[in-house]
Amino acid sequence: MQGESAFQSYLQGALEIFGIDADLAERAVMAGVWSIYEPGMDLLRDADLDGIEPEPNADLSRPPAG
Amino acid sequence: MSGIDALHLPLREQAAQIAAGDLDPGELLDACLATIEERNADLNAVIATFPDESRRMLDQAPEGPLRGVPVLIKDEWSLPWRAETVGAASVPGVKLEPGESGPYRALRDAGAVIAGVANMHELGSSSTGNTSLYGAAHNPWDLERCPGGSSSGPAAAVAGGLVAGAVGADGLGSIRYPAAYCGLTGLKPTFGRSTMAGHHIANTETIVSGPLCRDAADCRLLASALFGEEIPAGRPAGGLRIGVIRDPFWTNSAPGVREACEAALESLRGEVDGEVTEVELPELDLVLPAALLVAQAEEAAHLTPENLNALSPELSVINRGVLKLRALLPLSLTARAFLTRAKVRRDLMELFEGIDLLAWPTVPAVAPSLTEPMIGLPSGVESADSGNARHGVIANLTGVPGVSVPVGLDDGMPAALQLLAGWGSDALLLDAAEALERATNREFVELRPSDPEAAPLRSAGQSP
Repeated sequence: MQGESAFQSYLQGALEIFGIDADLAERAVMAGVWSIYEPGMDLLRDADLDGIEPEPNADLSRPPAG
Repeated sequence: MSGIDALHLPLREQAAQIAAGDLDPGELLDACLATIEERNADLNAVIATFPDESRRMLDQAPEGPLRGVPVLIKDEWSLPWRAETVGAASVPGVKLEPGESGPYRALRDAGAVIAGVANMHELGSSSTGNTSLYGAAHNPWDLERCPGGSSSGPAAAVAGGLVAGAVGADGLGSIRYPAAYCGLTGLKPTFGRSTMAGHHIANTETIVSGPLCRDAADCRLLASALFGEEIPAGRPAGGLRIGVIRDPFWTNSAPGVREACEAALESLRGEVDGEVTEVELPELDLVLPAALLVAQAEEAAHLTPENLNALSPELSVINRGVLKLRALLPLSLTARAFLTRAKVRRDLMELFEGIDLLAWPTVPAVAPSLTEPMIGLPSGVESADSGNARHGVIANLTGVPGVSVPVGLDDGMPAALQLLAGWGSDALLLDAAEALERATNREFVELRPSDPEAAPLRSAGQSP
């Protein structure tokens, strides 16, 4: 999702698909928060994560096994 | 010693005087409740007191390490006589009820007396503390500035002299930010070491309970109760290796904060005969989005259309919008966040094979105004939440412990250094924090926003 119009399109469709109501003030908050989230989310979406072994059942109290 | 005089002693000295018979814990509790009554109108740090229940806890207090000592608990845990409210009119999809939460049991079993419930940012969703069902808590250093969040009330209460210690919670930095803003020491324990029983997010892998106190020794005492075991005190071995990630943590902090932290780091290095080396952590830019997504995934089960369409109108519009946005974020991103977590944990493990501590400013700038929580950084003006989260969330994403230590003032407000250590090294962190206190002659942990007996609470614009 790049740019406000793309976000607004996604938002409109997603709210309808999931049946979630949102008034104008809530939509404005969603757009504002997304503008803060978006750069990081784009980085995460585009990051090369190939070859990274997942950590199933991670125990956050300890360093990763192996 | 009178109760009112003793209220300003460290937690450990209150406990020691009670144990020695030199201090009447009933008088101390009365002084605490009277001080809350007198000063809370300015601070709004405490949202509930219950003198009968507090006195009952005192009457039944066992001979524990905190016997008779009054403390506060964040509005994030249930008590047998009060359900938590998480600073909100309602929590989507969760029915909150009175009960014996883990922190309540830990405090009770240690002999502590819960004098009241402390305010918090609504749903724990911000580092500022400027929004709550009960109104914002205020920073005792400047009543018009943010106390930090989400453990806003615990920090404002301890800094304001209402109690010597309080229990907060840290899900994405929520103990360390308010500790930094209010000039306190705050410990985010290693994930899983402190009790979290009864928390409304039962499946959390990011949130921990932890202490906010005036110094590291008091944090050790209160954290030991939450851990259910004594955290041993010691001195860091000589040659402590301290890693510094310059960019962005140091380069993009406000100059006054950076200078205070640099001076503190040099003091610590000298005190422990250590060495400071620059290190790097790959994929640092991915840590913040990954942490946000992992944390929100823990709550996502309740974000159903039915629950979201029934959100209380008393919930702030910001949280109503954020909750609905969270429900719509693509699952693919969340999956990538968990993969990123795996990589960052491995990278951090490798990093801690070569160093003992990581150090950078807890927050990049001092507390902003309550009404407009923006901060000025070398990179420009941004929301305090964005800057703070960049500095804080790695500990929650990976599980490692962190401590925030006050190290000076900038613009008359507290600045703080954050130390992180490897998994399970909570004792080392507290040892290092105490070493820093020694190195600075306790100058910064002894700083107070005002002398509670001689001066009124500071209002905006007055220097300390």
